Amino acid sequence: MHGKAVVVGLGETEYYKHGQSPISEFQLAVQSIQRAAEDAGLPTSELDGLISYMDNRNSPLRLAAALGMDELRWSNTPWAGGGNNSAAAVQLADAAVSGGYANYVVVFRALAQGEFYRLGSSAGKYATSRGTTWGYPYGLISPAQECGLQTKRWMHDNNVSQEVLANISLACYHNAQLNPRAVRYGRPLTREAYYESRMIVEPFHLYDCCQENDGSTALIVTTPERAKDLKKGGVPIVATAQGLGPEIGAYSYQKDWFPGTYLDNVGDMIWERSGAKPADIDVVQMYENFTGPVAMALVDMGFCTADELEEFTGNGNLEGPDAKMPFNTSGGNIAEAYIHGLEMVNEAVRQVRGESTCQAKDVELSLAVGGPGYSPGSAILFGAA
Amino acid sequence: MSRLLGDDFILPELNRHNTPWFTSGSIQVQVCDDCKTAQHPPDDVCYSCQSFNLSFETVSGTGVIESCVEVNYPAYPTLVDKVPYTVALVSIDGAPGCRAFGNILNLPTDQVKIGQKVKAVYEEAVDEQGEKLLIPQWEVVE
Repeated sequence: MHGKAVVVGLGETEYYKHGQSPISEFQLAVQSIQRAAEDAGLPTSELDGLISYMDNRNSPLRLAAALGMDELRWSNTPWAGGGNNSAAAVQLADAAVSGGYANYVVVFRALAQGEFYRLGSSAGKYATSRGTTWGYPYGLISPAQECGLQTKRWMHDNNVSQEVLANISLACYHNAQLNPRAVRYGRPLTREAYYESRMIVEPFHLYDCCQENDGSTALIVTTPERAKDLKKGGVPIVATAQGLGPEIGAYSYQKDWFPGTYLDNVGDMIWERSGAKPADIDVVQMYENFTGPVAMALVDMGFCTADELEEFTGNGNLEGPDAKMPFNTSGGNIAEAYIHGLEMVNEAVRQVRGESTCQAKDVELSLAVGGPGYSPGSAILFGAA
Repeated sequence: MSRLLGDDFILPELNRHNTPWFTSGSIQVQVCDDCKTAQHPPDDVCYSCQSFNLSFETVSGTGVIESCVEVNYPAYPTLVDKVPYTVALVSIDGAPGCRAFGNILNLPTDQVKIGQKVKAVYEEAVDEQGEKLLIPQWEVVE
């Protein structure tokens, strides 16, 4: 049990459909951090570290000035990718405070797609990067298509049915109906509506895909000693891991990497570092860029075999606070909001605090997993204090 | 041959790694001069033995569909009247472990299957620098 770093504050702005935030992305970032500080009982002047990921547009220097931070002792970001780094970003905060380099480190992710471009719409007339040049000229542009190629082959090889993907989507929607923060709150989904929804790219229907949202999520990491003086105490970080995987784009599809989530080695590290095993996990937040990679990740991290997926995900086994495996209890990226998975890390902390709107019972180990299908994969395990 | 996704569709910006693939009118893979391992896409270093001595070699131009998806949502404005189309991942014969993206031409999307054998065909394009491209695509041969 690591436990040298704890989460002491959680903050969220209101979550919006993409392009609908009434305030700027920078204002969203500031607001989520203010709320996390308020939740912790800390003045923002005492924050001294800032971490984000996925080509964050909100400079830590600008934020430190705007928030009135007295010092900025630590600012960085994990390399590459997108929401696969949601847990890796928190690992960097853990490293900062447990190494003594900073006292109160913020991890945040802010998105306003009206102010900036809509995700996935940025392709120009020429494909210029290592990640795009081999796919864009063939109309292979979106993460849905990339994950579709992975998922279709994996389903083919492992005889996995569309029902598994439907079960995952329906569980997210089910749990979001308990969560007033969720953008899809009050919008329940039926199995019929799932199957009738339009195809985006084989094998993904509309409801297999995460939403696109505006909003910001933040959390604050410090040491257990400092947490004692704060409003809600701290939720211990038991273990974190970043994994190895190939570079993005066509590089991901070579040799033995394909098809894969790049989370099997992340799972190995989490289980080794924590001493826990999948059956010990009380509640899991599994990043859904798309439902397919979630199914793959459940297998790669050892929660079940491919043959067991229909039972593991079906019969309501992922739905509600009393589920066999409480899963994506806030609604996740599919039905709460897509703040690149950081909102799911907050939910994992909330489960330990006992503050979830879909609260699992007696939570001692709460896992959040970063975006499967893109490397480096990452995961973080929280434990009861 | 004109392009499946439109003659005005996205082109690769040519560089030392992708020029053989997109201009030669053949299937070119990078092979290590020292350990003879083929790799795709190309890079500055052999991923198997870390040699810097790499060359391009022409392979047969046939392959097998490893995965394929029907694309329904147009992720780029000019694709609105091009969907559905098939994006495939093709393993390249003669280059073990190497796989390339492409479209499957001249076959309805619902008839494209994993495991089908394919051969390369080439779409013509000219970029803004006046360079002529011959973009590899694939047709099912059985």
